[in-house]
Amino acid sequence: MKGPAALEGTTRARPGAFGFLTDTTLCIGCKACEVACKQWNQLPMDDFGFTGMSYDNTGDLGATTWRHVAFIERISDREGRRPTTLAPFQSNWLMLSDVCKHCVHAGCMEACPTGAIIRTEFDTVVIQQDICNGCGYCVPACPFGVPALSPLDGKAHKCTLCYDRLKDGLEPACAKACPTDAIQFGPVHALMDRARARVSELRAQGVDARIYGDQALGGTGGIGGLNAFFILTAPPEVYNLPAKPELPQRRVLPAFFTTALAALALGIATLFSFRRVGRMHHG
Amino acid sequence: MPGLGARLGRGGATTTLASLADSDCIVIMGSNMAENHPVGFRFVVKARQRGATVIHVDPRFSRTSALADLYVPIRPGSDLVFLGALVNYVVNHERWQTDPFFREYVLHYTNASVIVSTDFRDTEDLAGVFSGYRAEQRRYDTASWHYAGQLHPVEGERWPCRPLVEPERDPTLQHPNCAFQLVKRHFARYTPELVEEVCGVPRELFLRVAETILANSGRERTTAFCYAVAWTQHTIGTQIISCCALLQLLLGNIGRPGGGILALRGHATIQGSTDIPTLFDLLPGYLKMPRAVPEHATLAGYFASERPATGLWYEMPKFLISLLKAWYGDAATPENDFGYSFLPKIGGDYSFQSILTMMEDGIIKGLFVMGMNPAVGGQNARLARRALANLDWLVVRDVHEIETASFWYDAPEVRNGEVRPQDIRTEVFFLPAAIAAEKDGTFTNTHRLVQWHDKAIDPPADARSEAHFVYHLGRRLKELYADDDSPAGQQIRALTWDYPTTGPHQEPDLMAVAREISGYRVADARPVAGFHELADDGSTACGCWIYAGIVTPEGEHRAKRRRGDERASLDWGFAWPANRRILYNRASADPQGRPWSERKKWIWWDPDQGRWVGYDVPDFPATKPPDYQPPPGAKGLDAHPGTAPFIMMLDGRGWLFVPHGLVDGPLPTHYEPWESPIPNLLYPTQPRSPVAPVFLRPDNPYHEIADPRYPYVITTYRLTEHHTAGGMSRWVPWLAELQPAGFVEISPELARELGIATGDWVVVETARGSAEARALVTERVQPLTIAGRAVHVIGMPWHFGFGGLATGGIANELAALIEDPNSLIHEAKSFTCTIRKGRLREGKAP
Amino acid sequence: MAELRARRYRRAPGEPVSTATRESYYGLPVIHGPHWHWPIVFYFILGGLAGGSAVLAAAARLLGGPPARPVVRAGRYLAFLAVLPGPLLLIVDLGRPERFHHMLRVIKLRSPMSLGVWGLIAFSLSAFLNALRQAVDDGFFGRSNRLARGFRKLPDRALAIASTVPAFFLAGYTGVLLGATAVPLWARNALLLGPLFLCSALSSAAATLSLLLARRSQNDRAEQALAQVEFLALTGEVTLLEAVRRKSGSVIGRPLRRGAEGRAFAGVRATTAAALVLHGLALLLPRRWRQRLGLLASILALAGAFLLRATMVFGGHRSADDPAATFALTRSDE
Repeated sequence: MKGPAALEGTTRARPGAFGFLTDTTLCIGCKACEVACKQWNQLPMDDFGFTGMSYDNTGDLGATTWRHVAFIERISDREGRRPTTLAPFQSNWLMLSDVCKHCVHAGCMEACPTGAIIRTEFDTVVIQQDICNGCGYCVPACPFGVPALSPLDGKAHKCTLCYDRLKDGLEPACAKACPTDAIQFGPVHALMDRARARVSELRAQGVDARIYGDQALGGTGGIGGLNAFFILTAPPEVYNLPAKPELPQRRVLPAFFTTALAALALGIATLFSFRRVGRMHHG
Repeated sequence: MPGLGARLGRGGATTTLASLADSDCIVIMGSNMAENHPVGFRFVVKARQRGATVIHVDPRFSRTSALADLYVPIRPGSDLVFLGALVNYVVNHERWQTDPFFREYVLHYTNASVIVSTDFRDTEDLAGVFSGYRAEQRRYDTASWHYAGQLHPVEGERWPCRPLVEPERDPTLQHPNCAFQLVKRHFARYTPELVEEVCGVPRELFLRVAETILANSGRERTTAFCYAVAWTQHTIGTQIISCCALLQLLLGNIGRPGGGILALRGHATIQGSTDIPTLFDLLPGYLKMPRAVPEHATLAGYFASERPATGLWYEMPKFLISLLKAWYGDAATPENDFGYSFLPKIGGDYSFQSILTMMEDGIIKGLFVMGMNPAVGGQNARLARRALANLDWLVVRDVHEIETASFWYDAPEVRNGEVRPQDIRTEVFFLPAAIAAEKDGTFTNTHRLVQWHDKAIDPPADARSEAHFVYHLGRRLKELYADDDSPAGQQIRALTWDYPTTGPHQEPDLMAVAREISGYRVADARPVAGFHELADDGSTACGCWIYAGIVTPEGEHRAKRRRGDERASLDWGFAWPANRRILYNRASADPQGRPWSERKKWIWWDPDQGRWVGYDVPDFPATKPPDYQPPPGAKGLDAHPGTAPFIMMLDGRGWLFVPHGLVDGPLPTHYEPWESPIPNLLYPTQPRSPVAPVFLRPDNPYHEIADPRYPYVITTYRLTEHHTAGGMSRWVPWLAELQPAGFVEISPELARELGIATGDWVVVETARGSAEARALVTERVQPLTIAGRAVHVIGMPWHFGFGGLATGGIANELAALIEDPNSLIHEAKSFTCTIRKGRLREGKAP
Repeated sequence: MAELRARRYRRAPGEPVSTATRESYYGLPVIHGPHWHWPIVFYFILGGLAGGSAVLAAAARLLGGPPARPVVRAGRYLAFLAVLPGPLLLIVDLGRPERFHHMLRVIKLRSPMSLGVWGLIAFSLSAFLNALRQAVDDGFFGRSNRLARGFRKLPDRALAIASTVPAFFLAGYTGVLLGATAVPLWARNALLLGPLFLCSALSSAAATLSLLLARRSQNDRAEQALAQVEFLALTGEVTLLEAVRRKSGSVIGRPLRRGAEGRAFAGVRATTAAALVLHGLALLLPRRWRQRLGLLASILALAGAFLLRATMVFGGHRSADDPAATFALTRSDE
C-alpha cells in the first residue's frame, strides 16, 4: 500500500476524462461561477436570507445550486493581531468555489437503483432527469454532500459539468465566467500535472498549498480521485470537505457477508428450535 | 477626471488594464478592484503570477486585500496624507536624487524646472490656504499661481490663450521658486509620523510601501496605481487623484508599460458617458459647454477665451465646428457661426446635487431618469425623494420598477404614514427599458476602450432601448416645433434627426449614429480616418472628435474587433484617441527617443523610417523627431518640442505645479473630510476644503468636526454581487440571493463595546437620516489609532433600498449634499455617524 | 435548505464571524442526509416482520411437524400481509412516484437499493405463493373445485424452502442499505446494521406470532420454539446494540445519546434487554407465568423493534447534520 506522500498528485481518472481544477489561490470570491451556472441551467433562486456567514449567503450545494462559493475569514491570529504582510495569492480570507467532484468512482452513481446516474463520454457523472424517480438514495451516498432532491420536481439534481455545452465543444459556464481562471477546465490528467506544478510553485513561495482530489486527499477510500479537484491552502475540514472519505459502496460486500453470517446463525438456531418441536411430537 | 486632466492632459486612465500584467508593483488604493472590476483584476493576478507585488490600501480588508501581498488599513479620507508622504519620501530619497533616470524624466517631461511667480504663497505660508483666497466667496483667484515671466492671464480665462511666453526655468531644479522646490516644500511636513497620526498607518508599514514603490520604479521597473471612487468621492477627491499623478510623474511611471494610473471607472460605459457626455458642463470630446457669459456669445468669442495657442487643443475649432455640423447639418453654415447660437448656454451649477435642490425648491419641474435610481443612489436620499415628490412630472425608464418610480406609494416615509401618496403631486411615468443584450450599442469602459455589443434578443413587450426613446422623443419634438420660430423652436428644428430605422418598432440604426460620431466628409459622406482629418470650415462633421475614425473608411466599426494579443491588443475594440492604448507613451522612450530599457520598451523613434514605431499607436505626432525644437510663434502641436509627451497640455509637459485648471490649488493639500472625528492636524485653522461647494439648507445639516453625537467614521461602498443603486441587481433572483439583505460591517472591538452580535439589527444615524441593516461583525474592519485615540470605522454597502428581492436600509439617507469643487462629485467615502443596536421602529417583526 | 436559514449564525456580541469557522464551516453539515421519514421507518419494520415471519414459517413447515402448523399458517399469512404495504410505502416515498417502475430498468449488485427492489419483488412473489398455498389448505378456495385443485399442485415444501433466502434478504438488507452511505452513524456501523436488523426482524416476527397464537393452549411446544427463537434473536440484538454503541464512539455516537433519538436508543436497549431477561425468567417459571411473561417480553421486543428502526433512521438524520461526525469518520490520520 503506497504511503500518502506517494499518492499525492495522482489520480485514477480514465484517459479521456474531463474535469475542473479549481485553484482557490486565484479566487476572488466574485461568485460569477454561481450566477453563470444558474443562468445557463436556468435554476431558480434558492432559500433566501442573510446568513451572517461572511459573504456566503448560499450556504451549500443543493438541488438548485451547483456552484457554491464558501468564505472563511482568517484575518487575525488568536491574539487578535491582524497581519499586513500576507501570504502570496489569496490568503487570510479563504474562498472556495465548491462543485460536484465528479468522482472517478462515484458513490451517487453506484447507489442509483434506476440507472439514472451515468458516466458520460467525458467521464463526468450526470443524473438523467427523464429517468430519476426521486428515491433519494444518491443523496446520502455522496461523501461530499452534493446531490439533493428538489422539492419543485421531486428529482435529484447536481452539476452536470455542463454536459450540453461539452457536447457542443464549449467549456462549462462557470469556467468560462471565472475572471481570474481560478476555475480551469480541461483533461483531468493535464489539469493534475498543472496542479502539481502550481502546488510546488506555491509551496516554494511559502504557501501551505495542497491538492484536494488526488488519491492522497479527497479522492481516497476507493473513490480513486476527483475529476473536479482543487488546490487548497488549509486542511479540507476548514472548507467543510472530508479529508479521507470512503466510497460507501466498498462496504456493501462486507456488510452482506456479515449479514449472511448472521442469517446462517439465526437460521440454524431457528431450525433447531423447530426441530425439537417436531421431534417432541414424534417422540 | 479633472485630477488627471489638470496634470496630464486627459481625464481618463492613462494605461490599459492589460498593461497591469507588465507591472512590477501595483498599488490599489481608493479602490476595491477585485470586487468591482473582477474581470480587469485578472491582469493584477497575472502580474502577481509574474512576481509583481500587489499593495492594497483600504479601510476594509476586502476581496482585493485577500489577493494582495501587503494590506494597509487606512482611515477613510486621509489618502492625501499618505500620497503626499510618498511624494516627500521619494524626493528626499537618495536613490531618487542620484539615479539619472528620474532626473531625466522629471526634467524633460514635467514642468519641474519652471519658475513660479513670486506672488505665489503656499498653504505652508498661509496656514492652510493658497494665495488668492476669497473667503466670503469661498473661491480662489488663481492669478498668483501663474508662471514667472508670463503674461498675466485675464481672470476667468480657462487657459492663457495669448501666445505663450516661454517661462523662466532652472534646469538644476534648485531655484527656491521652481515647481520642484515648491512641491518639495509643500510636502515637507508629510512625514511617516504624520501618516501614522492622521491615517492610522504605522510608520514602518508606510515606509515598507514607500520603499517597495520606489524600488519598483525606474528604468527597468514600473509601478502602477489603480484607483476608483474612494479617491474621487471626497471634497478633495480631485486633489487626491492629482497627487497620485504628481507622484507618478516624479517616479517616471506615466506613459510606460506596467506604469501609469488606472482610473477604474464604475458601471458600464461610464467612461463613455463623459466622452459623449451626460454631464451638464461638457460637450462631446471634453469641449467645454459654452456658458451664458458675454465672452461666449459668439463662436469667435468662445475660441478667444477657450482655445489655447499650444498643444493639441489648439485644433479646438476643428473639433467643435465638426460637432456643430454633425448636430445641425445644413442649418450650420459659416454665416451663422455653424449654428453655435442653437447650442444651449449654461448659467450655473446644474450638477446632480444641485438639480436635486432645484427640484425641491420648485425650480425644475420635470425630470427624465434613465438608468439611474436617485431615490436610493442620491446623496441625502430623503431629500432626493422629497425633490422627486415636488416635480410636476417624472419619467422613469428602467428595467425594473425601481424606487425612483415607486417612491410615491412605497417609500419608507409613505409606509410609516409620514407622507401620503395623495399629497404627492408628481405625475410619474414608468417606461420599461431594454437591457444590454436586447439592443445594439457600444460600451466605453475603463481605459477608454470602446467595445460593440450585438443585440441578442428582442426586448419583451413594450421595453425599448434608450436610443429608441430619445430618437422618437426627438422626432415628436421636431414635429411639435415644426412651425415654431422662437429661439427654442429654432433649436429643435435645426437639429439633424434623420437616422434610418429598422424593425417593427422602428429602432434607430445605431451604425448610422456611429458613423456620425466617427466623422465624415459632408460632401460625399466618406468617413474620416481620424481627428487629424477634421476641418474647421464646415466640410467635415464629427459627433465626437476623440472617437473620430472609429468607423473605418470601409465602413467597419473598430469597436467590433476582437483580436487580442500579448502586447497592446490594437485589434481588440478601439481605445480613444486614435486607438492609443497607453497614453503619453512618448514617455516610454527617453528624450533621445530610445526605450528606457529593453524590458520596458513600448514605442521608440526609428531614425531610418523617420517615425515613432513600437507596440502601440504613438500618442504623439508620428513623424516629429525627438530633437525637434519649436520655432518662435509656433502654434498647436508645432509649439511643443520633440520631448513633450503630454500633448494636451499647453507646454507638452506633465504638471507638478498646476497654475491653471484646478480651482482648489496648484498643489494637493490635505483637508479633513467635511465630517471627521478629528481636526486637521496639518492645518488646525483650516480643517476643511476652503472652496468645496456646500449646500446650506435646513434639510442638509452637517456634523461638526469631532461632533460627539457622531463619533464613528462611516464609508459606503459596493459589493460584487450588486450594481450601484440596485436597479439592475436587487430584482434579479440570482444576484439577490447572493447578498439578500443590507448589512453593516463593524469591527469586533466596536461590536463588543455596543453589545452587537452578527445578525442583530442595527440602526446607523446621521443628522440627515437613519438606515437599518443587519450587523456583520468581522475582523476585516478594524479601529485605527488616529492622533493617539481609537477611531472606529463602519462600512455599509449602499446598494439596498425598499424594492425588489434584496432589500435593506438606504445608506445614502445618511449622506449629505456636498461636492468636490472641481468635479462637483459628492463626498460619500468618509463622513461620520453613530450606530446603535435595534430597529428603526421598535416592535417590528424580525 | 430551509434548515440552513434556521441555522442562521448566531454568536455572542463582539464575536467575529471567523470564530465560527475554527472547528467547522459555521456548523453546517458536510454531507446531505436522506429524506426518509416515517414511511421508511414503517417499511423497515414491516419488511423485517415479513421476512422474519417467512423464515419462521419455513422452519416450522420443514421441521416442526403438525404441532407447528399454526405457526406455518400464521407465519405465511403474516409474511404476506406485512409485505403488502411495503411497495406502497416505497412508492409514496419517491419524489416521482409515477416513475416507480424505473427501478426495474437495471439491477446493480453494488447498490443495496437496487438489490432491495428486486429482493422485495422476489420476496413478495414467494410470500404470495406461500400464502396462496396455505390458503388452499385452509379452504379459502373451496375443497374440490378447479381453482383449489390447481393451486394444490404448488409444491408446498419447495415453496417454503425457496422463501428462506428472500426472507433473510428482506429482513437484513436494509441495514446494508443504510451502511452503504456517507452518514457517519450508519457508515461506521455498516457491518453491524444488517445483522442487527436481521435479529430484530426475527425477534419481532417471533414476538408477533407469539402474540397472535397466544390463545391456543395446545401449542405449548410451538410457543416454546417461538420463544426460543425470540430469545436467541434478542441475545444477538442486545449484543449488537452494545457493539454499535461502542463502535460509534463519542462523536459519531452522539445521536445515540442525545435528544429524541438518544432517548429512543435507550428505549431500544431497555426493551430488548428487558425482553431478554423476561424470557430468561420465563424459562424458570411454571407455565402460567411463563406464558404471561413471554407475552410481555414479546410486546417489549416489538416495541424495541419499532424504536430501533426509528432511532436508526432519525439518528441518521442527526448524524448527517453533524459536521464533527463526518470529520470523525473521514479524519486524516496525519
